[in-house]
Amino acid sequence: MNNPNMYKIWQIFDPKRTLVAIALFQIILGLMIHFILLGSKDFNWVGDGIPLVAKPQAEKVAALSPLPASRNMN
Amino acid sequence: MANTSITGLTDEQAKEFHGIFMQSMSAYFGLVVFAHVLAWLYRPWL
Repeated sequence: MNNPNMYKIWQIFDPKRTLVAIALFQIILGLMIHFILLGSKDFNWVGDGIPLVAKPQAEKVAALSPLPASRNMN
Repeated sequence: MANTSITGLTDEQAKEFHGIFMQSMSAYFGLVVFAHVLAWLYRPWL
């Protein structure tokens, strides 16, 4: 890595193509790793319930009365 | 004798590009390490 002649690599590999290749590789690798983690149980940071997930509120809603208890005919 | 390399880059040009490339790569690696430190603090994986 510290070879002082490393710059000669650009006389073998075209800089433009190399940069495009690296960029594409990094983007695809990054997307791949993110999706693998999202698909895992341990490292899914979206569906892990953190912060506390809003659960279905059906029961709470059913318990609500449109009128105060004192005015409720039922 | 100036343009005899495969890519057509002279020694001078190759050196110039190499400098920018290495500097950018170091900066990117720094960013990567920082991101991994944050990710480790959030959720260690080992």
